[in-house]
Amino acid sequence: MSESRKTNIINEKNMINIMYLPALILFCIFVFYPFVSGIRISFTNWNGFSQNFEYIGWLNYKNLLHDEILQLALKNTLIYGIGSTILQQMLGLFYAVFLDKKFIGSKTTRTVVYLPVLIAAVIMGYMWYFIFQYNSGALNDVLRVLGLESVDWLAKGNQAVWIITLVNTIQYTGVSMVIYLAGLQNIPKMYYEAAQIDGAGPISQFFKITLPLLYPAIVTSVTLNLIGGLKLFDVIKALTNGGPGYSSHSISTLVDHTYFKTQAAGYSSAMGVILFLIIMGVALLTIKIFDKNEVDM
Amino acid sequence: MKGFIKKIVTCCLISILATGIIGCSSDTADTTQNQGEKESPQTKEKDSSKDSKKDKKVSIDVAVNFGIDDQITIGLEEVAKGFEEETDIEANIISLPDYEPVMKAKMAANELPDMWSTHGWSVLRYSEYLTPLEDQEWAKVLHPAIEPVITDEAGHIYVLPIDVDVAGIAYNKDVVEQAGIDVDSITTWDDFQKACASIKENTDAAPISLGGKDNWTVGNFLDWVGPAVMLTTTQDYDQQLLDGNFNSEGWNEVNALFENMYDAGYFNADALTGTYSDVARMLGTGETAFGLYGNYIISEALSYNPDANLGFMPVPAYYSEDTPFLISGERTTLGIWKDTENKEACLEFLSYIARPEVMSKLATISGVPAGLTTAESDTGILKEDYAKHQEVPSVPYFDRVYLPSGMWDTMCATGSALIADEMTIEEATAKMKEDFDKLYN
Repeated sequence: MSESRKTNIINEKNMINIMYLPALILFCIFVFYPFVSGIRISFTNWNGFSQNFEYIGWLNYKNLLHDEILQLALKNTLIYGIGSTILQQMLGLFYAVFLDKKFIGSKTTRTVVYLPVLIAAVIMGYMWYFIFQYNSGALNDVLRVLGLESVDWLAKGNQAVWIITLVNTIQYTGVSMVIYLAGLQNIPKMYYEAAQIDGAGPISQFFKITLPLLYPAIVTSVTLNLIGGLKLFDVIKALTNGGPGYSSHSISTLVDHTYFKTQAAGYSSAMGVILFLIIMGVALLTIKIFDKNEVDM
Repeated sequence: MKGFIKKIVTCCLISILATGIIGCSSDTADTTQNQGEKESPQTKEKDSSKDSKKDKKVSIDVAVNFGIDDQITIGLEEVAKGFEEETDIEANIISLPDYEPVMKAKMAANELPDMWSTHGWSVLRYSEYLTPLEDQEWAKVLHPAIEPVITDEAGHIYVLPIDVDVAGIAYNKDVVEQAGIDVDSITTWDDFQKACASIKENTDAAPISLGGKDNWTVGNFLDWVGPAVMLTTTQDYDQQLLDGNFNSEGWNEVNALFENMYDAGYFNADALTGTYSDVARMLGTGETAFGLYGNYIISEALSYNPDANLGFMPVPAYYSEDTPFLISGERTTLGIWKDTENKEACLEFLSYIARPEVMSKLATISGVPAGLTTAESDTGILKEDYAKHQEVPSVPYFDRVYLPSGMWDTMCATGSALIADEMTIEEATAKMKEDFDKLYN
């Protein structure tokens, strides 16, 4: 190898390093440092603003084990994450299969389904609040027109949790739809033609060809939606603010509440670390499960 | 050629990165210097004379928790202008959005504005960062209702109170009259519940309203009932609280009263999911009779119905041996950062505000009594009620004195969970005790 060729290779390597350096610096400042700092704070009794605090070892983590509100938030987080994901996959896949065919209005329908994704989650939450609110809420107006009693939809914790899940589902179904549409367009038409020759019907084709070959798309969609659902924050803040009481808190909103409102920054950071581990665990598990079942085309 | 281009690009990238890093770390003086080098000698001379003049002018930042369009913010800006004309000290009134979290972040970084408003927390939250002010002239003439509220155990005072938040239960006089109730005869919570029953029976209005989506409205209800039960002559709950012992028995009484009133249907139908603005509107339009909030709700209710006939009454006693009371606390207060480089200028600004004519102007904007006895304010439609209740004893906001900082939200959330049937009375109290113990220690 000539000397100039070697220099070129070294330069190329340097170039690559230099290219990712700004991103790495930004990542370190805005992600890595706060993350490490959060772990450090989780071992303290810091109130979030004082210059004085003490290191208290694992106490925050021990207290987490007996925290009933955290357990409730964890249950809600799983409902938001898994519930939204299941509903989003079903609806997203339905829309994708339906809109994969060309017909008049198919593009408009795609746009309409995708449109909520473009709206900020907090605005979406407020829009739905105005639908569900007791006084002058759109839904209660409809009920009153039908001669029925108004309902305080968000007054019961369980009900509020499912309404939040539904709102999150409606907002992000468009993401699943787009992923599945892309997946569907990658499936070669010859499989369907061959299946038709063999006498397979549309349902059989869906379960035997479409679904297995959509596996990569399913992995992407499920992982994205699951992480989004587990991190759910804005919609909850806008719709119920975690209430009534603590009943609709997710771990994210509880972390915020504990850090800024009850001024237990150390304890809140410990919750944040747990949330990180849960999300990472669930995401890894999802990928592992799907990896095992992946189908080669 | 290719290698040469790559070298050039690499050099450029390194330069950009280096410039970025240096740029971030360079201070204003360097920037000024660099700019100066590029300018003509004449401009430089002109600018340097301007700069030296500017250097002499002291500028202080005053952060407030009021909205940019709030009348009190505008009033403070006008006062700052008058102060600047007189002293050549510039006071910048900064309305910080999301005030509490921002101030907490600033405290954590120990990078605070020269002055800021303490919104009820001058002692419990901000005192660590504030300059003691008890040696100031104006500190000798504090309004008696605010003095104990802003004084810590060691006798230090950290803020100038521009006004005093003296409040009772806000009510719509027309609704109460329609139900045939004489508010002056309400002295205990039993009387108050009878009045609620009468309103429920004789009017279309909800006796009391909460906006539970803003769960502080629930907390406020408990903050009004709390002193009635816990600061009584028959028990020593108050001393226990100050000693760091949360008495669950006492708080069970508070929770039980709240739950009983809720179950009796004395609250608005959307008490758990409405908002504070809904409550203010309802009070103004006569859709509700009572609101357990500071008198700020009256000005907000008037914005929905300027002709509303509103007033306030003392908070009833829980035990027949006790007497009704008013609640007093900080409203518009300003303190000085202990590490500010402009302490003298800040003290001067406070002295300027403490002048009777300046303080009267600001307190009149809020429609509440002035913070110093030397100043008077026009309290508008509440003038009559303030005069009537002048002799009524006042107690400080319960949570700000008897609960550790951080408990407020627990009170809001447990109260909300209680009436939503998410918690029993005992569970809600146990959560209060748990957080009390955690935060007290």
